[in-house]
Amino acid sequence: MTIPVSEAAVAAIPAATASRARGRLRQTLALYVPTGLLAAIIVACFLYPLVGNVPPPVGGSVLDAGLPAGTAGHPFGTDTSGNDIFSRLLYGGRVSLEVGAATQVIGMILGGLIGMIAGYSRGLLAAVLMRVLDTLIAFPALVLALAIAEGLGPGELHVIWALSFFSVPAFARLARAATLRLRDQNFMLAAALSGTPRWRIVAFHLAPNLLPQQLTFALLGAGVAIIQEGALSFLSLGVPPPGASWGNMIASGMQTMSVRPSLVLLPCLALLITVAALNLLGDALRARWSAR
Amino acid sequence: MTVQSTNRTDNLAAAADPEAAVSVPPPGTPQAPPPAGLLRFPLLRSSRFRLAVRRLLTAIPVVWGVTFLGFTVLNLLPGDAAQALLGADATPQEVAKLSHQLHLDQPFFTRYWNWLTSALSGHLGNSLGSGQQVTAILVQRLPVTFELLLYAFIVSLLIAIPVATFAARKPGGIFDSITTFIALVGLSVAPYILALLLILFFAVDLSLFPALGWTPISGGLGSNLRSLTLPALSLGFPIGCFYTRLLRADVLEQLDEDYVVTAHAKGLPGWRVLLRHATPNSMFGLITVVALNAGTFLGGTVIVEQIFGLPGIGEELFQAIQTRDSPVLEGIVVVFAVLVVVIGLLADLLYAALDPRIRYDNPGQ
Amino acid sequence: MTAPAAAPKAAPVLEVRDLSVRFRPRGGNLVHAVSGLSYTVAAGRTVAIIGESGSGKTASSRAIMGLLPRSAQVSGSVLLSGTELTGLSPRALRRHRGSDVAMIFQDPARSLNPTMKVGPQIAEAIRAHKKVGRAEARERVIELFKLVRLSAPEQRYDEYPHQFSGGMRQRVMIAMALSCSPKLLIADEATTALDVTTQAQIMRLLAELQEQLGMAILMISHDLGLAASYADEVVVMYAGRTVERASVRELFGNVRMPYTSALLGAVPRLDRAAHTPLPVVPGRPPDLSAEAAGCPFAPRCPRAADKCAERRPAFDEHKPGHWYACWYPLPDGPRAVEAGLANTGPSATGGAR
Repeated sequence: MTIPVSEAAVAAIPAATASRARGRLRQTLALYVPTGLLAAIIVACFLYPLVGNVPPPVGGSVLDAGLPAGTAGHPFGTDTSGNDIFSRLLYGGRVSLEVGAATQVIGMILGGLIGMIAGYSRGLLAAVLMRVLDTLIAFPALVLALAIAEGLGPGELHVIWALSFFSVPAFARLARAATLRLRDQNFMLAAALSGTPRWRIVAFHLAPNLLPQQLTFALLGAGVAIIQEGALSFLSLGVPPPGASWGNMIASGMQTMSVRPSLVLLPCLALLITVAALNLLGDALRARWSAR
Repeated sequence: MTVQSTNRTDNLAAAADPEAAVSVPPPGTPQAPPPAGLLRFPLLRSSRFRLAVRRLLTAIPVVWGVTFLGFTVLNLLPGDAAQALLGADATPQEVAKLSHQLHLDQPFFTRYWNWLTSALSGHLGNSLGSGQQVTAILVQRLPVTFELLLYAFIVSLLIAIPVATFAARKPGGIFDSITTFIALVGLSVAPYILALLLILFFAVDLSLFPALGWTPISGGLGSNLRSLTLPALSLGFPIGCFYTRLLRADVLEQLDEDYVVTAHAKGLPGWRVLLRHATPNSMFGLITVVALNAGTFLGGTVIVEQIFGLPGIGEELFQAIQTRDSPVLEGIVVVFAVLVVVIGLLADLLYAALDPRIRYDNPGQ
Repeated sequence: MTAPAAAPKAAPVLEVRDLSVRFRPRGGNLVHAVSGLSYTVAAGRTVAIIGESGSGKTASSRAIMGLLPRSAQVSGSVLLSGTELTGLSPRALRRHRGSDVAMIFQDPARSLNPTMKVGPQIAEAIRAHKKVGRAEARERVIELFKLVRLSAPEQRYDEYPHQFSGGMRQRVMIAMALSCSPKLLIADEATTALDVTTQAQIMRLLAELQEQLGMAILMISHDLGLAASYADEVVVMYAGRTVERASVRELFGNVRMPYTSALLGAVPRLDRAAHTPLPVVPGRPPDLSAEAAGCPFAPRCPRAADKCAERRPAFDEHKPGHWYACWYPLPDGPRAVEAGLANTGPSATGGAR
């Protein structure tokens, strides 16, 4: 609220400086903590297994089943099939991160392109594209993803295709809205008046201005995609066991939830932390870029 | 009801005598002839009504497109219902026979056309698996999902409105910082993760709420609500966090508006300015977001119903996909699409109800 | 309202002494929005504060009401009928806001809650300060509507702001401001957003209400013509400081400060030949975050000399009832308006007085 307490002039100046510094510190923290967290997760999932002493996520023998946390060589213990849980967490993380990244890249490129065209063109093409986009968005995307995953069968690549059906319309809608806003701005008109061909306008004038917004959206969307991948794997439509995915770890862990909650808790926490880091980073970037 | 007069004579008269009301046309100005035909009825002249009709009309092709897309997707998938029903060890002849029985061997467009025409007359067909009428299945399962959605929605509002309003009082303060962080983490939690965590904590450890199953109202309102509490929380909390962040931003924006300065200048206490002036005007953004997120909200029911064993539409949907039961699938898809459209329409009506500028926008009155 | 300047007999309703307001916008330097502002307003009199945008006139009025953002630092003294307002707790300040001192704003369209009926918005102001029932408050509101000459007052109570025209909305704002019979009314560019005819009506209404109720009016504007017609005393602000202050007659008759003279000169006049270029003041107001050494107007002043850039002239009562801060003020006489612009240096006139 904007109701102040009148303060004596000079004495207040140091306080004002201090609170400004605190604000800056908070902003910096908000940006770098999630970045660091994400970096740590990526390094852990992709690099650590190459250098550390991590047993394979599959192919464990039943003799090793059910080992508790802290056992030598198995920091988090083993699951009912004898696979090392820590290892499965890391490899499952690979799946999540790959799916997250891939779906957003596909969405940004394809969806961004469609959205820009839908926003920039006029007449019949725009109208048709807009109707199609609206239909895609109205369609319960989850149904689509489920159906596609079901039809294609389990597997990481299929999950990526299925989830791209989510991300492409989402990016397209975002790109379209932003294009509509920018279309009539002076710099766009100037480019058109100077005879620049339309594809160049879109590629070199429009796209760069859309990029910051698309990037923040991609970070948030990656979080959504990772959650959806978890959901699909949970419903046995994603990475099939014995392959590791946080989603199917949760699914199999559910059966022994009351006796060994860590089997469910650990992948849940992994999902939560990763997605939260993505959201925090996306939010911090958005705050920074819109304050400019 | 006053309408600002654009009549030059009116304005000059007002300039000469400030007490003359601008809104009442001086006697002698020619009146517009009364409208004829359908426009006789005031309701049909209301621009709000016309807006609603226009929205309905544009929604129809979208709903149709959705059904077509659903049918296409399902039929592009390998395997068909007959195969799924009979299982892996059925002979090709058995599969073909069942296929023929279920009309699955007809060409794609014929099947779609048959479905569309009977759907428009109210018959959504029968389930390929159980033979039950699709409408019967829907009627049986919709109330469960409805109740879950309503409960979850109320939960989300109960979180969002108080927290956002209170946080906006001192932006950057302790309450605000803590709740912003919790909200960001909260909306990162997927409903199914929260569901599992809640089950672990409440049902398994504390045994406060049932982990599975749904008690209908006939079994007592108390146990009915108890059986839905954990599912509603799983669905409602993450989206409530999302609403909180948006509402907080909106309230802060409203607090920068001129009428808030006026309210302070009148000497109103801060809480009254917040609750009576800023917050009501911030609701419009929330309404928009609720409508836009309707699809995601509905989609969340699929997994939550699975986890909690609730006999709702979401669970039915999942089964239908697995068994390639296209009439059931189409039926559910239509229900979903119609729901999203209806929610959008309700949002529009709510706008009109809350914003007097829209309500009193009746041309020709 | 255009009575000759006479010394106020009663204690002044508003006494501002050495008021300073400083802001620190996010990531920027300290901005000196107002520095050393001093003036008084007596009951039944109108004081106009005139200045360009960025002169600090709005910030000073908000400081009186306590409506500045939390980061603002206010120093100096603001006495409202003898009560010191600066340093009061928010709760104590709130008691005075709306009841002893009220404010009307520039844009009545945005200054009213769009989703709330107009009548209750005023009733709310009344009930915030006095314990009255809803029915009684409604009666009072309708009386106020009659006072501000709003037609069909009973109907108006239940209408929404968007159903009113601009002039009518401003009348509603006036009614709201008067609801608790304030001793001081601050009109912050109250007629800037209105067309000329409505502006005249509103100003006349304010004048009549002032006579009826005996309240003091602080008029904030950039319009010298308005001040000439309706104010008793004028305070001219530039870059957060007062540069000239005098009764209306004295100011317009014997303008001293080149800035004021330039403002006067920039008003379009009917007695000039057609197509005469409008003399505007070249340059822009100074950056308020940098505390300049000399006179803030020096960079743009046609009469400036080296001394002006080095030392800031004191704001003194160089003549009874006429304060100004200038090293080389304009000479006496109505010619000063034109002369102030034609001269390019202090040598042309007679130097400082």
